Amino acid sequence: MKMTYRLAALAVAIAMPLPAVAATINAVMYKNPQCSCCESYATYLEHNGFKVDIKPVNNLSQISSDAGVPADLEGCHTLMVDGYVVDGLVPVDIVKKLLTERPAITGITLAGMPAGAPGMGGAKDGPFTIYAFTKDGKAPTVYATE
Amino acid sequence: MELDFKYLVSRRRLLRAGACLVSTAVMGSRLSLASEVDEHELNATHGRASLAGADAPWTPVWAYDGMVPGPTLRVQQGRPVRISVVNALDESTTVHWHGIRLPNAMDGVPGLTQAPIKPGESFTYEFTPPDAGTFWYHPHADSLQQIGRGLAGALVVEEADPIVVDRDLLWTLQDWRLTKDGQIAPGFGSMMDAAMSGRVGNIVTINGAPPGDQTVRAGERVRLRLVNAALARMMALRFEGHRPIIVAIDGQPCEPREPQGGRIVLAPAMRIDVVLDLQGDPGSRHAVTDDFYDGLAYTLTSFVYSSEPPLRANPLDAPVRLPANPLPIPNLADAVRQEIVLQGGMMGGGKLKGVGGMVGMAMPGMNGGPAWAINGMSMTGDGHAGMAPLFTLQRGASCRLTMRNETAWWHPMHIHGFSLSLLARNGESVPHGQWQDTVLLAPKDTLECAFVADNPGDWMLHCHVTDHQMAGLMTVFRVT
Ligand SMILES: [Cu+2]
Ligand SMILES: [Cu+2]
Repeated sequence: MKMTYRLAALAVAIAMPLPAVAATINAVMYKNPQCSCCESYATYLEHNGFKVDIKPVNNLSQISSDAGVPADLEGCHTLMVDGYVVDGLVPVDIVKKLLTERPAITGITLAGMPAGAPGMGGAKDGPFTIYAFTKDGKAPTVYATE
Repeated sequence: MELDFKYLVSRRRLLRAGACLVSTAVMGSRLSLASEVDEHELNATHGRASLAGADAPWTPVWAYDGMVPGPTLRVQQGRPVRISVVNALDESTTVHWHGIRLPNAMDGVPGLTQAPIKPGESFTYEFTPPDAGTFWYHPHADSLQQIGRGLAGALVVEEADPIVVDRDLLWTLQDWRLTKDGQIAPGFGSMMDAAMSGRVGNIVTINGAPPGDQTVRAGERVRLRLVNAALARMMALRFEGHRPIIVAIDGQPCEPREPQGGRIVLAPAMRIDVVLDLQGDPGSRHAVTDDFYDGLAYTLTSFVYSSEPPLRANPLDAPVRLPANPLPIPNLADAVRQEIVLQGGMMGGGKLKGVGGMVGMAMPGMNGGPAWAINGMSMTGDGHAGMAPLFTLQRGASCRLTMRNETAWWHPMHIHGFSLSLLARNGESVPHGQWQDTVLLAPKDTLECAFVADNPGDWMLHCHVTDHQMAGLMTVFRVT
């Protein structure tokens, strides 16, 4: 059953890409070498106009904390894209919103690995809350919900 | 090994630790009074170490006798040992003598087998090691920080009749997560580390120093004792141009054999003894690599042959099989069956069978909850009073233990107080008469093993990826 959801999610990702942007967006993904859902997420991004350079690292929590991601809001990988940090399985329309609006923040994060998020299997069991964070010690704020 | 000498307590101990190259000739001629108690002292304290090379800043560490690794304790099989541990740290500690079959009260688990040793206090451990081989010692309190900041050392139990080698080498491998300015990185207990592969570091040291070249001489035979004293880093070592022969795993002799695919897989807390016939050409150079993690292979060190002529024309013609240890043989026909199932962790590719059966949880371990479980039950931390045993065995009974890894991650499972006879992995029998106290389970692996419950007490069984242990991959069983 899980597999069905997963395939369905992938089919949606492939069949209905968001409106194409002019150029490919380059991103670098730092991920645990043994976590495979991040690769599904990278594939999802690539179907949506990104070029993702995957870098396996053993000290992901150190990289994400150095990147400013609050410890209690870590996602399962850290993506560096166009001057921003995008942590975890953030839906692509929200990533594009970030790159278009270009707010004065360090990055955004979707904590953990919620079911139904891109790259994950399963059905969504509630709305996703994507937080914005900065490196100046201020509390994270809600950037988007989906 | 560059260390801050002002922290070194005993010059005698320093000399002993420095003498890691012990020829069997010396060992063979050593006069020993087997009945006399072998007395040692260890001081758990603060120190500094040069972990990242001469140009890098000193790293403040926590260390036995101020040294990383702690002094190598060399004791003799069957001879009583008394080790007084003094706690000069700012927090409680204990010492676990990893792999030694000893009385329960000497096992070093806080709350379960002893009261923690408070700062300024000491505790005397007394035991008689029944098995010869390569073991190690480390704290079992605040384990992530105490091991992660440097508290670990090798414990070599010498055979009365060792095999003939030219040199007996020891590599105590430690893994450090350092910041750019050479300090131990904060973030111990990060939930991401806990739910994934643990706090793997960015600097690996051999005997407390960044691995330089290992100078060897053509024709010599060495016994190399590998000790993985890392918190979480698994290793898979290849000796380019050489054919290492595994002669013992976790201190216990096995049928000498070459590793599968030439790759020596050494998980945290495991020890592997290999015999190496150094048959390279004088002046040649051969890398020792670690390729455990996909895409992250690196050269650990290199064997560099001196230009001296070969020590001998042909490899030494002497047996490499180690004398057997007095392990009780399980009676499989009449064994009690027990099964433990490892559960939880972050999913690898949408395949989570989570704690409590949840699928797609925010993240296991989030909000301080446990990330892992054994048979649906999470025991977290380092050990504490009142841990109810998962199962009870009658003293003397043989136990056939199945370990099933339902998770997407690797787990080196460590049994205290016993050594396990490996029977089968994923339905295929395990050859070579292997006994281990730390057995590595790949994702989805099922392992069958057996042991004789001949040692009474409450014993721990836990994953030795320290973050996993702390976050719930731990249980206790009782022998009456
Ligand atoms: Cu241990
Ligand atoms: Cu584990």
